[in-house]
Amino acid sequence: MSLEHDNWKGTTGGMPWMQRTLICWLSVVDQRVIYAIMSVVILFYMLFGHAGYITMYHFYRRCRKESWYRAFGHVYMNHYRFGQVVIDRFAAFGGKKYQFVFDEACRNEYLALGKKEEGFVQLSCHMGNYELAGYSMRQERKKMYPLVFMGETETMMLNRQKMFRENGIEMVPVASDMSHVFVLNNALREGHIASMPGDRVFGSTKSLPCAFMGGTADLPVGPFQMAVTRDLPVVPVFVMKENWNTYRVFSYILMPDNDLPKPLRMQRLAQQFADLMSAMVDRYPTQWFNYFDFVRY
Amino acid sequence: MNIEQLKEQIIDALNLEDLTPNDIDNDAPLFGEGLGLDSIDALELIVLMEKYYGIKLQNPAEGKQIFKSVNTMAAYIDEHRTK
Repeated sequence: MSLEHDNWKGTTGGMPWMQRTLICWLSVVDQRVIYAIMSVVILFYMLFGHAGYITMYHFYRRCRKESWYRAFGHVYMNHYRFGQVVIDRFAAFGGKKYQFVFDEACRNEYLALGKKEEGFVQLSCHMGNYELAGYSMRQERKKMYPLVFMGETETMMLNRQKMFRENGIEMVPVASDMSHVFVLNNALREGHIASMPGDRVFGSTKSLPCAFMGGTADLPVGPFQMAVTRDLPVVPVFVMKENWNTYRVFSYILMPDNDLPKPLRMQRLAQQFADLMSAMVDRYPTQWFNYFDFVRY
Repeated sequence: MNIEQLKEQIIDALNLEDLTPNDIDNDAPLFGEGLGLDSIDALELIVLMEKYYGIKLQNPAEGKQIFKSVNTMAAYIDEHRTK
């Protein structure tokens, strides 16, 4: 069913009781204390969790052409940032509020899109902390239907569900009977938002190869096909960590080019998304969290 | 229901340029074995039903049965088409 990666399942680590304990701690302890502890723990994690470390090291060396010492520094910072965004998620479960800074033009365009009758396909990716913004962003007239994997622990899923529900967000689990396709299609037909990762191939063996950071990355067909088939905009959203309690939100609106044949329309949108991801990596090099060989050379 | 026309619509929607309607067995499974379609293609079939026959499929539970084969699709269309 899904194209899982041998070294990385993309789920949050820890046993359910550990996650529940962390949520309790974070409801009383400042998350910066946990960040400080984590900054030491990460060194051991890097030492014993080779798979993610080596993949990320290659990413910085090959994709970003960094020297070995700079790449090593970035691998450490990458792990630290990843730890921070996971802690921030747990802190949000414990009631912590974060600040989200929007570019004013982006925000206005995004809100204007939300007032239209038609729905749209919102794209996330494994960068920054998209999920955290989901707890705070909402469109007045539209519900959001994010496609989610059910590989997370019960603690994660229950907390996600609780916080999503408060914001009018209905999770759509990926299902082997393809029911998620019906739910997302219904949502778009009724003018709502279908949200899904734009950087992860799942539920299909088909992909769109795109130029990405000097190599080729396979992006999923699903989100782009959904947008093109229903002639709807694609809206990539990036939520990037700026400091301990602030995230910056970037949103873009990509329209299918109706002058092109359908396969090319999908390819064009996918390439535009790949270009945006690439620009975001340049701006936030340590917030790239795809711990597998994302780029082919 | 014109089965040949439905097969042509499927070929067109799914970009199965290498196939002709004769290559598609009416009773062969559309997903998995048979035509080898996957969830990405399910979307195209849902939109095909909406576009050509005015059928808005809402219930995810029905999908598996409707898209079992060309014959089951055709039977559902016969029963529920609005155009």
